Amino acid sequence: MKKIVILILLTTSITFGQKKLPNLKLQDINGKPESLYNFTKNKTLVLSFWATWCGPCVNELDAIADQYEDLQDNGFELIAISMDDSRTKSRVKALVNGKDWPYTILLDPNQSLKRHLNFANIPYVLIVKNGEIVYTHSGYNPGSEEEIIEKFKQLK
Amino acid sequence: MHFKKYIFTILFLVSFYVYSQSSQKLNIGLETIMQYYVDDPVTGNFNGTNRFRSNNYFKFDYNVSKFSFGLQLESYYSQALLNYSPHLDKKIGIGTYYAAYKNKKLAVTLGYYYEQFGSGLILRSWEDRQLGINNALRGIRLKYYPTNKLNFTILYGQQRVGFKVSEGQIFGFDTNFDASSEQISLLMGLSYVGRYQNFKPLYTIDADHNRDFNPLTSAISGRINIAQGHIYANLEGVWKSKDNLVELGNIIGNKAFYGNALQLEAGYSKKGFGFTTTFRRLENMTFYADRQANGNTYNELIINYLPALTRQQDYSLANIYVYSAQAKLSFNPLNKAGEIGYQTDIYYKIPKKTFLGGKYGTMVALNISNWYGLAADFLTPYKRINTKFLTFGKAYFKDFTLEVRKKLNKNNKMIYTFIHSYYNKAMVEETQGEVKSNVVAAEWSHKFTGYKSMRAELQHLWTKEDKGNWAAALAEFNFNTHLGIFMGDMYNYGNPDENHQNHYYNFGGSYTKNGNRYAVSYGRQREGLLCVGGVCRVVSAATGFTFSANISF
Repeated sequence: MKKIVILILLTTSITFGQKKLPNLKLQDINGKPESLYNFTKNKTLVLSFWATWCGPCVNELDAIADQYEDLQDNGFELIAISMDDSRTKSRVKALVNGKDWPYTILLDPNQSLKRHLNFANIPYVLIVKNGEIVYTHSGYNPGSEEEIIEKFKQLK
Repeated sequence: MHFKKYIFTILFLVSFYVYSQSSQKLNIGLETIMQYYVDDPVTGNFNGTNRFRSNNYFKFDYNVSKFSFGLQLESYYSQALLNYSPHLDKKIGIGTYYAAYKNKKLAVTLGYYYEQFGSGLILRSWEDRQLGINNALRGIRLKYYPTNKLNFTILYGQQRVGFKVSEGQIFGFDTNFDASSEQISLLMGLSYVGRYQNFKPLYTIDADHNRDFNPLTSAISGRINIAQGHIYANLEGVWKSKDNLVELGNIIGNKAFYGNALQLEAGYSKKGFGFTTTFRRLENMTFYADRQANGNTYNELIINYLPALTRQQDYSLANIYVYSAQAKLSFNPLNKAGEIGYQTDIYYKIPKKTFLGGKYGTMVALNISNWYGLAADFLTPYKRINTKFLTFGKAYFKDFTLEVRKKLNKNNKMIYTFIHSYYNKAMVEETQGEVKSNVVAAEWSHKFTGYKSMRAELQHLWTKEDKGNWAAALAEFNFNTHLGIFMGDMYNYGNPDENHQNHYYNFGGSYTKNGNRYAVSYGRQREGLLCVGGVCRVVSAATGFTFSANISF
């Protein structure tokens, strides 16, 4: 037990800095392979990890979609990366269009990006600037989208 | 002594991290879930050996130019959490490790890797810590991309089970070809998966008893995905060579059957409207790295991914009667050959500034799923079977869900859900009974000023069968975007047995910062099925404290 505590303390006491976003092959909404790098190079944008079955994720993306047009005028851009596996992947397109979401959608059906970034739960949001992760946020409460929007303005 | 070794490994990695920090090439992930079980007359006194248990995962990934290396240490102290496989009971051990090389055309991985062919009907290795699944393959994998329209994967490995690997050896080949043009997206794929396990069958009295045993079982699949404009369709078919019948963990050497799967998805969507439907037929499609693992309750040694194709429900009462895919062929205790059925989803946005749409528009989502046993003639005493191609047998599960999401104004939002379902408990859980139920849920979320917010749920389940009616409520309050508390209760007030009209309450809080999350809670866990991503695990009733943390660097 003591050793586990030591391990946890050791790993948590490390100071950390900015991390590079790995360049993995994801899929576009039709299942075609796409390099993540092609979407993230030379700009600042928000990556939001979500799934059709994740209530808070859908709430978060709904909330941002409501004001997306205004945000876009200020250079805001969001890519929604779906973690849906083959159980629910076919629902992604119907949901995105049904909800009329304005986002670029990428698919990560066997969670390779999640494994690289070592996060456990969705919703999980990153702000990426020139391929470097400059901000992370996990979970969603009504209104927490405002913080992401604020951060984006500061970091842009 | 082993402990020391691992501590040194960690220290080494940590110092390495500090060293390499300037280049930020090391990623570290830490997840811990600790539980302390208490005695509770409702969920039963705790009669296990260890009241304190924890699952801890330490993951390290290091990248340097085209190479990457990784290690996942796992610690189950004093043993794995309740209902996890006893194969995981190890104080500390190396779960997975890998070394990989990648350039534009070629990727090579040695050690443990995760892979999926097509939709996973033929092969999927993945990790789901909540379910206790990690069926990574240990061996070698090569990926080759001669052009960006064509790729090949070839792999060999044994599957992880606990801190060991399967007896069975897995061989795989996969290729994908992109034949898209400007107007149409057209993707095709072919896969092969072989399992070699030279296992001695149970009956070895004479040669005849093993006449149908072949150490190699092969599966082949083909798929095609088409999308054009608003329409798309995906078709996938799998054929599996003769695989021995497994009854109660025993391999029957003189009984082997072919398996197959067919899945068709089609959809239409445009701005404000989405429709998608999936048909699937599974016949004797369970596929395990070790034959004798067939049907094990911990979902260990699974080669392929056969999720239940139903809506994954958000609310606790809607997760009491949950379906899991029925792909196994069996004669004992029940005659089952597989499943057949479909599900359909419709998403529609009632436009803004209409009577039903209001100021913001109203989102409507509908799901209908219907699953049946695969119809077949069973000659049970001889263990022979004659399956029908497209005939629906006994109903296993039916579900109708309607969800309406409505934003009332800037600060208030409502979600209403109605679910009608039929669950054939006798056939799915191989126990008794059938359950028809209706669930209604209402969820309200409200924003205060300064990132304060709250969320409340009310739910009710009506049924005349099984454990009768339930009511549930949940309230959540967030002080800011970092700190939140919740309390909830599920009350089985309609249980025909008055001594079991139990409350299942839970309360706790969580703190989130920089993508890291810490949570504490206390409460009762209901006995039943825990399902994530269409895969379920049986959990027993328990009461206790939980602490969890997810941290990444």
